[in-house]
Amino acid sequence: MSTTVLEPRAGRTRDVLSSHVVRLLRMREIQLLVAIGIVVAVTTAAHPTFVAPGNISFMLADAAATAILAMGQTVVVLAKGIDLSVAPILGIAAVLVAFPAQDLNLPIVVGLAIVLGVGLVLGAANGVLVSIARIPPIIATLATLSVYGGLQFILAKGEEISNIPNSYAALGNDDIVSGVPWVLLIVVALAGAVTFFLRHTNTGRSIYAIGNDAAAAHRSGIPVQRVTFIAYTLCGVLAGIGGLIYLCHVGSVDSTTGTADNINLTSIAATLIGGTALTGGRGGVAGSVLGAIFLSVALTAMVFALIPAIWEPAGVGALMLLAMLFDRRSAVRSPSRTRRPRRAP
Amino acid sequence: MVGLVGPGPDTTATTTATTTEDPGDGRDARQPRGSRYVASHVTKAFNGAEVLHDVSIVLEPGSVHSLLGENGAGKSTLFKIMSGLYEPDAGELVLGDERLHGLTPRSALQQGIYLVPQEPTLMAHLSAAENLYVGALPRHGRTRLVDWKRIGRESVSYFTRVGLDIDIETPARNLSIAQQQLLECARALVHNCQVILFDEPTSPLTPHEVDVLFELVDGLRSDGLALGFISHRLDEVISISDQVTVLRDGRFVMNAPRGGYTRDELVTAMIGRPIGVRTRVRRSSDVTDRREILRVEDLAAPPTFTDISFTLRKHEVTGLAGLVGSGRTEIAEAIFGLRKADRGKVVLDGVPLTHRTPRECIDAGLIYLPEDRARNGIFGEVDIGRNVTAGIIPHLPRRWHLIRTDRETLLAAGATARTAVHMQALGSSINTLSGGNQQRAMISRWLLAEPKVAIFDEPTRGVDVGAKDDIYDIVADLATSGLACLVISSDLEELTLICDRVLVIYEGRIVGEVEGDDVTTARLGQLVVEGAM
Repeated sequence: MSTTVLEPRAGRTRDVLSSHVVRLLRMREIQLLVAIGIVVAVTTAAHPTFVAPGNISFMLADAAATAILAMGQTVVVLAKGIDLSVAPILGIAAVLVAFPAQDLNLPIVVGLAIVLGVGLVLGAANGVLVSIARIPPIIATLATLSVYGGLQFILAKGEEISNIPNSYAALGNDDIVSGVPWVLLIVVALAGAVTFFLRHTNTGRSIYAIGNDAAAAHRSGIPVQRVTFIAYTLCGVLAGIGGLIYLCHVGSVDSTTGTADNINLTSIAATLIGGTALTGGRGGVAGSVLGAIFLSVALTAMVFALIPAIWEPAGVGALMLLAMLFDRRSAVRSPSRTRRPRRAP
Repeated sequence: MVGLVGPGPDTTATTTATTTEDPGDGRDARQPRGSRYVASHVTKAFNGAEVLHDVSIVLEPGSVHSLLGENGAGKSTLFKIMSGLYEPDAGELVLGDERLHGLTPRSALQQGIYLVPQEPTLMAHLSAAENLYVGALPRHGRTRLVDWKRIGRESVSYFTRVGLDIDIETPARNLSIAQQQLLECARALVHNCQVILFDEPTSPLTPHEVDVLFELVDGLRSDGLALGFISHRLDEVISISDQVTVLRDGRFVMNAPRGGYTRDELVTAMIGRPIGVRTRVRRSSDVTDRREILRVEDLAAPPTFTDISFTLRKHEVTGLAGLVGSGRTEIAEAIFGLRKADRGKVVLDGVPLTHRTPRECIDAGLIYLPEDRARNGIFGEVDIGRNVTAGIIPHLPRRWHLIRTDRETLLAAGATARTAVHMQALGSSINTLSGGNQQRAMISRWLLAEPKVAIFDEPTRGVDVGAKDDIYDIVADLATSGLACLVISSDLEELTLICDRVLVIYEGRIVGEVEGDDVTTARLGQLVVEGAM
């Protein structure tokens, strides 16, 4: 579309950015690439091995599970929701694949079918609670976080399953070419698919509409309940896939995998760092994937800087807060809608 | 035809019969796109308060049917019922030959019924083009994917038809209120509707934009659509309508075709008494102490408002007039410290209020009754007494730092008595009070703060006609007792009734000040709408 935006009425034209460069620089994806570049450059200056292919591959593979969970989280946040139960969904999916994989040498394709099923069921349960039972998302998924977490413990029987077939570990850790792990390909493919879904399907657009204004979406004839349900279900499915990728990459799973890895927080952090607004209706999964990679790179850089690993959660939290502060500053320029819907009967 | 004052099923039945005799007066050589849309004997109550009682209206294809009535007469509610947003308690909707049961916004759209809402409700972060189609995005036939090319191609022509000159990629939040309203109108075209209901589409528009919109409405009428229209501007209604129905307090008052009424008859039907009977609220004029008590200097928060300077004097009621979205409320909020101003000074009784917070303003003697009581003023879960004392919690009588509830109750009782709140007990929930009584309770809250200046934002919105007069009396009493009052209102008649002086805001600036006998609806109306005389 043309960029020569002119409005006959005064006062708003200054908010319209006409230059392509400025528009690009205001895209969160570009900002994140720059930020990643800076972290990489600074750390490499001190520790040249930071950019060794092995380390790059490790950082990217390490970001994969978080990135996939963040995609699902993004879909839900775009619809002005939140899913706090993605960690145990990941955990349950991983556990349910890990046992038969260990005992029966289960093919990965069957494992994929299992995690898709697990994600579908658990995500759909969240969807029912939020869309049909109309329980506020933060409460509904906080409750299922506990329920699913307990279920994961029961299913794992308190054991750690670490005798995973080599084919799994190969998928989770091998490179296509040096420095580019296979899981990155999976992440990119999934991100492409979810982006396509959000951008080009009616349901995807409805998710944005609901996140902007659920009441107006209802008025416009959008089936708000159905779309909300789909968003949570998709989030569950992606969390399930994340479980398989986690299992392949880490090679073991136990009764607190996911929850203990703080992956709920990192998925939300990656989403927010990726520029998706917690208030809904603005953002996308490309930013969330870059957000996950940024987190992985930054945390690895902390390791290179000899900061003890116990500071990792604090690092994630601090980066998340920084992202929120940054987001607010960039949002100040845009004029908020001055009027609220009024005149309640 | 005219003067069917006196509601009831019989009256509506006759009206229905008379209007059906006129099927588009042979104007449509082409196939009419619209169908007859009838709402009959519709009744609706919210929380026990009846807002519509046995109202009927017939929208004919190829004609514009306007609803007239005061604020709170039930016009918007009727349109919302007809577009599926509310469910009627009784009555039925018939489109063509089909009875519509359990209408929802979605099924209404599928039936081709669209409501252009009173306030634009666009998706702030989505592009103008996507907003145009939201809920019914065009899709490729085979793949069912969203057809962005078609959206890009066709949205321009829809925007052109409503006179919108914008980049289709602009996010809706960057559009002005007027542009958003026009976009809402354009949405009706996209859905290819047979019935379009306009709920006060013109209030934020400039005269030129109104002209463009009316051309559009004319076009839709000759296309054979059935059109419903609500406006507060009588001249607009008279010029555009083929039929006019007047509601008052949720009841049918009269219906007349074009030319079947006079302007005065409409007004009389609307307000239920001949014009001129309602007189200005006069206060004793022997007051000499008109000392300046509040001075606002060069207050500005562009682009919402700029260069706001005025003074309020003791014993005086000053009005603040302006269209919805002109910045009236924002100015009041900035004075009261609810909204940040980029620059400017507020001086209250000689004391400058620099870093204003509501707390500081209340302590200094400035009170603000917000526009939207339900949202901004009332603690719904709390009893009436505590609602009344909520504004002076730090100053409540105490013993050992604990609030003495007996004294608190006495204070609340005294304040509610002063504003004559009708209630069962101070301890009952404030949600049990009617809108008018809630407003009184709010006023008594602020009286406890012993204010010098009171700002009322739309004090009578959603309040029935009887209670309006009471609120006018309260404002007048406050002024008599020495307060300086600032009243923000969309209801120009209201301003002419209670104000000694009216400031007019247009697009965030003060464009005029009218005083004394010059305060007339005609004069204010012109300033409000056009920004100049």
